[in-house]
Amino acid sequence: MSTLKVDRLSKSFGSIRAVEGVSFEVRPGEIYGLLGPNGAGKTTTISMISGLLKPDGGEVFVAGEAFWTDPQRAKRIMGVVPQELAIYEELNGRENLEFWGRLAGLSTREARKRAEDLLVALSLSDRAKDAVKTYSGGMKRRINLGCALLHEPKLLLLDEPTVGIDPQARMNILEFIGRLRAAGTAILYTTHYLEEAENLCQRIGIIDHGRLLAEGTLAELQERLGGDRLFALEADFKGVAPESWSGFQQHFRVIQKSERQLVVMAVGARDPADCLKELLGLPVHLENVTVKRPSLNDVFLQLTGRELRE
Amino acid sequence: MTFGNRILGPLAMLRVLVAKDLRRTRRNPLPWVINLIVPLMMTALLGLVFGGGGNNQSLGRIRFAVVDEDRSALSDFLRGAGNQGRAGDHLEPVFLERAAAMEQVNAGKISAVLIIETNFTRNYLTGRAPVSLELIKNPAESISPAVLEELLGAAVAGLNVISRNFNSEFPEWERVVEGKEDYHKVATLIDREGDKLKAAKQFVDPPLVSYQKEGPTNDVAVAGTGPGKTGTNGGATVQEGLAAVFSYLLVGMSAMFLLFLGQNGLTDLHRELRLRTFERYQTMHQPVWPFIASKIVFTVVMLLICSAIMLIGGGMAFGIHWRSPLALMALMAAYSCFVAALFAVLVALVPDERRAAALNNIVGMGLGLVGGCAFPTRQFPEFLREHVTPLMPTYWLVDTARSLQSDVGSVPWAWAGVKLLACAGVLVLLTGILFRRKFELGQRL
Repeated sequence: MSTLKVDRLSKSFGSIRAVEGVSFEVRPGEIYGLLGPNGAGKTTTISMISGLLKPDGGEVFVAGEAFWTDPQRAKRIMGVVPQELAIYEELNGRENLEFWGRLAGLSTREARKRAEDLLVALSLSDRAKDAVKTYSGGMKRRINLGCALLHEPKLLLLDEPTVGIDPQARMNILEFIGRLRAAGTAILYTTHYLEEAENLCQRIGIIDHGRLLAEGTLAELQERLGGDRLFALEADFKGVAPESWSGFQQHFRVIQKSERQLVVMAVGARDPADCLKELLGLPVHLENVTVKRPSLNDVFLQLTGRELRE
Repeated sequence: MTFGNRILGPLAMLRVLVAKDLRRTRRNPLPWVINLIVPLMMTALLGLVFGGGGNNQSLGRIRFAVVDEDRSALSDFLRGAGNQGRAGDHLEPVFLERAAAMEQVNAGKISAVLIIETNFTRNYLTGRAPVSLELIKNPAESISPAVLEELLGAAVAGLNVISRNFNSEFPEWERVVEGKEDYHKVATLIDREGDKLKAAKQFVDPPLVSYQKEGPTNDVAVAGTGPGKTGTNGGATVQEGLAAVFSYLLVGMSAMFLLFLGQNGLTDLHRELRLRTFERYQTMHQPVWPFIASKIVFTVVMLLICSAIMLIGGGMAFGIHWRSPLALMALMAAYSCFVAALFAVLVALVPDERRAAALNNIVGMGLGLVGGCAFPTRQFPEFLREHVTPLMPTYWLVDTARSLQSDVGSVPWAWAGVKLLACAGVLVLLTGILFRRKFELGQRL
């Protein structure tokens, strides 16, 4: 049974449809990445899952039960890490953890014990007594994460938990999240970093303009782009219309086109050497041809017509 | 879940939340300290402006002009009395012509002008025409001219007493004043009047009957010689008058700044909204009301602490003896509840931090000024004084607290406290309704 099931979730703000018919599941011991640019509807989706917003339509099931049937029960199961640093900067790291632990229903003693364990796990023991306002960005992010973990939730909702921190700090957080997954926690992870989704998530949902455009494992998503190969052609493509080339549209599909580059995928299962031969025979003077594995960005590009980083 | 758990659980959360806010305040007390220091400083400043602040906490010397148009021996005596002995410690008369004196009073250099009119002595001694002393007060000042008016009143009363008791001697004294008698006659006269005064002393000192001056409860210097005050000397009376001024000011300033402190406490809810900590709280399984209630409780606790600091600390600093400290603290507690509840409603009504800050300032200033925290209400326009000010909870506090301090009969302080608490209750209820509606509509704050 999935720990989290989201079924045709919708939410509008006035005339803006922020989320429209989004469905996915997160299973125990799985990190499900919700990948999309800023404003795609990721935070709205998490807000509806965590009960901060009531959906206009659709349903959220937590551990098999509809969220709004018993929100308190569902909230006991989940831990939420907001995108913003929702911590008290005047308090020290330990006090923040203990406070949120008490609110999560732990006794004073339990909260103290769990806070101590988490400080060790998050490598913050030596700064536990310092006010959070003196922490670096990465340390604040770690405390922000830790505050959601005091009650050892079965479902963890992470809303872009690594925004604005350096690569080393990001690596530490991602390693910690990997350990939580290994311990059996179901994790919903929203991000707009392709590398994080590729390296961390077992399954990925691509969201844009409030719609879930595709989902699956990285391999499944790559398969949408003709398996594991794309051809990047470099030439002067100014004023060139590839559709007009004889037989091109029967064998290739354009993923991206610019004045200097054309990225295409082969239609159907074909030998890469045959594809390369055909491409070299096109009526354009090619300066370079590269064969590459499709990235999530390519998938996103194919689905939306624009790059994730735009 | 049992009933006990339903109540005790949130109450335990309330305690955790209030403890968190108190800890945060301890780490960053500056916003509170500023609003705590300002009323004390303003009280001190106003005290200094009106002549206080010396080490002996006595009233500073009041500078005033004496215009002697009579130029007689008696007017010389009155001129001289202004800066002799203890009077010299508090009064600084300057002797000017009428035009120069008016110029100085208009320039704000002196507090008042005392005019001794031509023929004052002759008319006083002969009784041919009514006599009067004219006091022109500086309209830009309130305390010093009032003190001078009181002193002049005492002098006039003395002259009247002399006139009634020594009337038969006046013709002889008139001749002395006009220089028509020799030294032998003057010595005989002084000797005779001295004997009379000696005989009268037992009726005068100590006074057989004392009196308590009744007056409007808002009078600034109610420094009457009430029971137990008969032995005080002139200096002590002035000190008491000054303490009364400070207590009058401090009560008003405290009431006013408790509004700002309350605003500071409740707008922490805005900060929690901005920092998303409130949103994070909402993702927990706890009900929302303890979070909001905790801000009200936290604010009340802080206001009580601040009230105690202002009244006890201010009282010590300005030499104020609070006559009904328990009643005053009870009133302050009720007022603190009202202030916290008021700003809780405003947060519920205006969740936007910037707009709320503007609105809170207007509400705070309005309530403070209209309620008589900064100015005596008797100086307000009639409509405001009669129909608006009495409805202000700030007025309920300051008027009652000042009445308690002025010690005029029994003061219905408990009734004022009940009114403040009832107001707080209604506002808390309103806050609950407003927040509940927002959450039911699925709105974010």
